Amino acid sequence: MSDSEGSFSDNEAQVSENEGSEEEASTSRGKKRSRFDDDEDDEDDYDEEDEEEEGRHSKKKKSRGRGFLIEEAEVDTDVEDEEEWEEGAEELIAEKGRSRGGILDDEIGRQEGNLHSHRRLQMMLDRKPDEIEDYYRRKYADPKSDQRGFRGDQGDLEANDDIHRQTLLPSVKDPMMWMVKCRLGEEKATALQLMRKFIAYQNQKEPLQIRSVVAPEGVKGYIYIEAFKHTHIKAAIDGVGTLKMGNYEQTMVAIKEMTEVLRVTKQQPTLSRGQWVRLKRGVYKDDLAQVYHVEQAQNKVELMMIPRIDYTKMRGALKSASESEKKRKFKRPVQRAFDVEAIRSIGGEVSTDGDFLIFEGQRYSRKGFLYKAFNINAILTDGIKPTLEELQKFDEQPENLEIDLGEKSGSLDVKEHFAPGDNVIVPEGDLVNLKGKVITVDGTKVTILPKHDELNDPIEFHAHELKKFFKSGDHVKVLNGRHENDTGMIIRVDSGIAILLSDLTSEELKVRTKDLQLCADTATGVDSFGQYQYGDLVQLDAQTVGVIVRLEKENFQILSQTGKVLSVKYQKITRKVESKKAVALDSEQNDIHVKDIVKAIDGPHCGRKGEVKHIFRIHAFLHSRLVTENGGMFVCKTRHLVLAGNKVHSGSSSGLAMGGFSPLSPRISSPMHPSAEGKSPMRSPMHAGGHGRGGAHQGKRDFHLIGKTIKIIKGPYKGHIGMVKDATTSTARVELHAKCQTITVDRTRLEPATKVSGRASGGASSYTRTPSHGNATPMYGNQTPIHGSRTPMQGSQTPMYEPGSRTPHYGNETPRHDGSRTPSHSTSWDHVSTPARSEEFDEYEHEPSPSYNPATPGYQPDTPQVGGPFTPQTPGGMYSSHEAPFSPYQASPSPSSSSYQLPSPGNPLTTPSPMGYNNPNSQFFSPMTPGVAASPFNNPQTPGGGMDHMPMEWQAVDLECRIRALENKDKGLVGQQCIITGISGNVCSVLLIKEDRVISVDSHYLEPVRPRENERCKIISEGGEEEGIVVDIKDENDVVVMVGDRHQKYRIYDLCKVGSKD
Amino acid sequence: MFYHISLEHEILLHPRYFGPQLMETVKQKLFTEVEGTCTGKYGFVIAVTAIDSIGDGLIQPNRGFVVYPVKYKAIVFRPFKGEVLDAVVTQVNKVGIFTEIGPLSCFISRHSIPPDMQFDPNSTPPCYKNAEDDCIQADDDIRLKIVGTRVDATDIFAIGTLMDDYLGAIGGSG
Repeated sequence: MSDSEGSFSDNEAQVSENEGSEEEASTSRGKKRSRFDDDEDDEDDYDEEDEEEEGRHSKKKKSRGRGFLIEEAEVDTDVEDEEEWEEGAEELIAEKGRSRGGILDDEIGRQEGNLHSHRRLQMMLDRKPDEIEDYYRRKYADPKSDQRGFRGDQGDLEANDDIHRQTLLPSVKDPMMWMVKCRLGEEKATALQLMRKFIAYQNQKEPLQIRSVVAPEGVKGYIYIEAFKHTHIKAAIDGVGTLKMGNYEQTMVAIKEMTEVLRVTKQQPTLSRGQWVRLKRGVYKDDLAQVYHVEQAQNKVELMMIPRIDYTKMRGALKSASESEKKRKFKRPVQRAFDVEAIRSIGGEVSTDGDFLIFEGQRYSRKGFLYKAFNINAILTDGIKPTLEELQKFDEQPENLEIDLGEKSGSLDVKEHFAPGDNVIVPEGDLVNLKGKVITVDGTKVTILPKHDELNDPIEFHAHELKKFFKSGDHVKVLNGRHENDTGMIIRVDSGIAILLSDLTSEELKVRTKDLQLCADTATGVDSFGQYQYGDLVQLDAQTVGVIVRLEKENFQILSQTGKVLSVKYQKITRKVESKKAVALDSEQNDIHVKDIVKAIDGPHCGRKGEVKHIFRIHAFLHSRLVTENGGMFVCKTRHLVLAGNKVHSGSSSGLAMGGFSPLSPRISSPMHPSAEGKSPMRSPMHAGGHGRGGAHQGKRDFHLIGKTIKIIKGPYKGHIGMVKDATTSTARVELHAKCQTITVDRTRLEPATKVSGRASGGASSYTRTPSHGNATPMYGNQTPIHGSRTPMQGSQTPMYEPGSRTPHYGNETPRHDGSRTPSHSTSWDHVSTPARSEEFDEYEHEPSPSYNPATPGYQPDTPQVGGPFTPQTPGGMYSSHEAPFSPYQASPSPSSSSYQLPSPGNPLTTPSPMGYNNPNSQFFSPMTPGVAASPFNNPQTPGGGMDHMPMEWQAVDLECRIRALENKDKGLVGQQCIITGISGNVCSVLLIKEDRVISVDSHYLEPVRPRENERCKIISEGGEEEGIVVDIKDENDVVVMVGDRHQKYRIYDLCKVGSKD
Repeated sequence: MFYHISLEHEILLHPRYFGPQLMETVKQKLFTEVEGTCTGKYGFVIAVTAIDSIGDGLIQPNRGFVVYPVKYKAIVFRPFKGEVLDAVVTQVNKVGIFTEIGPLSCFISRHSIPPDMQFDPNSTPPCYKNAEDDCIQADDDIRLKIVGTRVDATDIFAIGTLMDDYLGAIGGSG
């Protein structure tokens, strides 16, 4: 604020300034000591002032006699003041002579402040009445002195005009000012040091010839020295440590700029009564206070505030008892209105002074407020925005002190911001209660269109003449404050405060209307902050999670799992927790998932119903629209819940759940496939591999594959061989043999490397059957044979499916899920045709989800199914029984089904089926998988010698084939010729030519019928795509077939007769 | 307020339904898809009263689904500001009363309940009652006035008031 200046003049100047100052310093002490005691003092003071007046000659930047260091000079008007003073001083000297006492008293009184007046009071008490009378007479007798006393330099001198001031500006005759570099932060100290130096040198041979040293506040790293010559400066700063930097260079300040040096530009905050301020320090730090009285000159403001009195501390007589406690840590007492009774009860003495209560030297109003004077430095005045709560504390005090005051100051602090479209009302003046709509806003000018019968023209208002106006039901947005950006509907408006129902949280908010704005669109407010969203489950620390129930400006309100609402800074959130897949058990051992509707049957929220939003261990976060707290969010223990509409949950489901939480599965698979219920027993150790595959959830490690040597069959690494280092159900880490690299590969792209050799040897090795090979095995087992022709495996199941429906679901993923659902259907559309569901409109919307979401619990059931072929082939059985009265495949397939060996020449080849690609994958999960066992095929083949290159899967629709010998099957079927009518996985639907009925047959029980001359055939060795007519059969290895219009040679084993249904 | 208006809707049908029951399926699907829904413009569709026309189905390329434009008449319920309606109280708590007006949920804030009616948390079920023992509790019928609606894409939410003449419990007499 102010500059401290050490100013002094040399001896050559009329009066030694420093001498005067010294003297003043001592006398001012004297003043305090005994202001009125003797006239000498007055005399002294007077002399001193007198001297000062004389001593200032033409120098303007001189002390007014308040000391070397003026702590607080007036701001901005500083220069003027001094000038004015000087101007006035001359005139005043005479007057002073007349009324010195008065001047002095007043001057002093003003300067010394309250403290002094207190003292004065004390002194007066010691005086005789006549003395006091005398004192007051002197004080108020001379109106002139009175005036001057109060207004000091302004009163009489108001008349001062610019011309006078101009003459005071420094000219060339005046000393120059030099700017000298100084050590940062030691400007004032340096000034003092220079003064001391000056004093020390003044009686020496070569006194310093500088005139003044100035260290203005706010100027960092420089001081100004005034002198006539540069050499004087040099002499002065020589040897001063802090000015070392300035030793080499001193910059002279241009005459015109000299005034600027001492101009303090910062505007003194204009405080006005009723304004809100905050305290900067002390026990009342950051407390809101209202300005009660301003004493600009003394930099004092009297504030009205809510006291913080420690009512626990004993006072007065009771004090000694609790003295020992004195040392305990200081705790900030809470804000509370002054309570006389409470004070008395702790032994405090309260005296009265007019309207005020005095306690421990502080004044309290009867309303409980503290009235206390503070230094202006100690308060913050800019941009104070009292919160509603704080205002209420002031307003809600008994007797409702000056409520209008609060509002006034409120509007002083924050102007209402109007925007076109706002509804406004005129709160006062001629047009009071006129409502209107804002058309344009131009700075503080607001043009409104009044809503009035007769006033139809736009009227211009000043912004402060208007207030925003809202009706209940208006949808508004909060512009400022704690609820910033929230939107809601206004429920009620009360004198400047609106209650609104937040859209987001369904909570009631109290907001000042000036912070509101009509919000045309029904925005939802803030619902996300960075990566966090309203309703997200987040982790706070290792033990605590919670759901974000409200986003505020800097905080999240988080409903923790314990049910408490915490306000947390967003930085404190560790991470977002994903709970989509979480499953928990309710009180009846049902599985509950996210999005399930549950009911609380116990605990604090007993009786409530809600949708599960998140599950975290044993806690479920539920949402109900009927709950108003926390935006409808509440937290329950899962064992206090019960699943609403408890669907399929029976014994089987809980049994399943124990098998690794597969709640969805029973719903899907069990009704359709009762056989699937017998899963658990099927999960025999023998199928551990299959189990590992299907049973393990995604992300779980699959130890089974680790250490195996595999080959990559797809993707950029196709053909590479490597060793599995780690494996999950979906991916494997493979260390490549060829490259020094470990890569992650999708499991579907792997194939055991040994398989390669197996194939190379021309026969399938037996390991395909070996259960220990696990899940992966069947896949390749199946694929290998396919390799040549894709179709052959497909068999007799056709009638079940409309051919048209297959195509769209041609994909890699599909088989997974159908495997899980309807084991016997290895294609994905099967569930579409499931009769049970055909009435549902939304059914096809469900389709994608299971098939592309291998992680769905529905995934699960295939595990047990894997065992299918080894046990009485359930799925196939089911379907065959559906379609045909009997099924030949009740027996577990045995590798020894050797009938395949018998080649029958008569079978022409027929159409390929798109199914071929699906097959390998579907094998994966379909119950047939292990049974796929290329082995049954291969075994017979190997001995067959000539069949080395026989395609393993040759089956295609329309091909004629023969049923091979079957163990424990209907012997009557063996040897019958049939035509394949449909293929599904390894099961073919075949039309028995003799019996004219359709049965389902496992495809490896079929063997192609070889074509005869002039019969149509398919070349099954080449994928079964080509069809031709057998022209000539010379021998087994030399058959001429006309394909298209070319004659080609084939071996008879490459051909299969195309059957005709008639 | 209820309206009987003509509306349009498009039915997307899976090819599996193509057959003799096709039109029946379309109608059936219209009912399930439309009745009980809510649009901001027309409010809640209460019931389809008549199907005016079912246009020619258009097969969607690449999908096989067929789109049928359907014109129908329906009774819709659209709440308006200022409308007085009868509602069923669903929940009573200290912040106010939650009610349902058919498909529309409506909230009456404690500030919109006449000040003489005070929340009594101790009675079972909790209720708002005044000195004359007028009582509003869950499952009561009350008459309220809508003071504001919030219209979302698929829902309408209203706030109501009881601060007007002839509003409040209509239990026995109503």
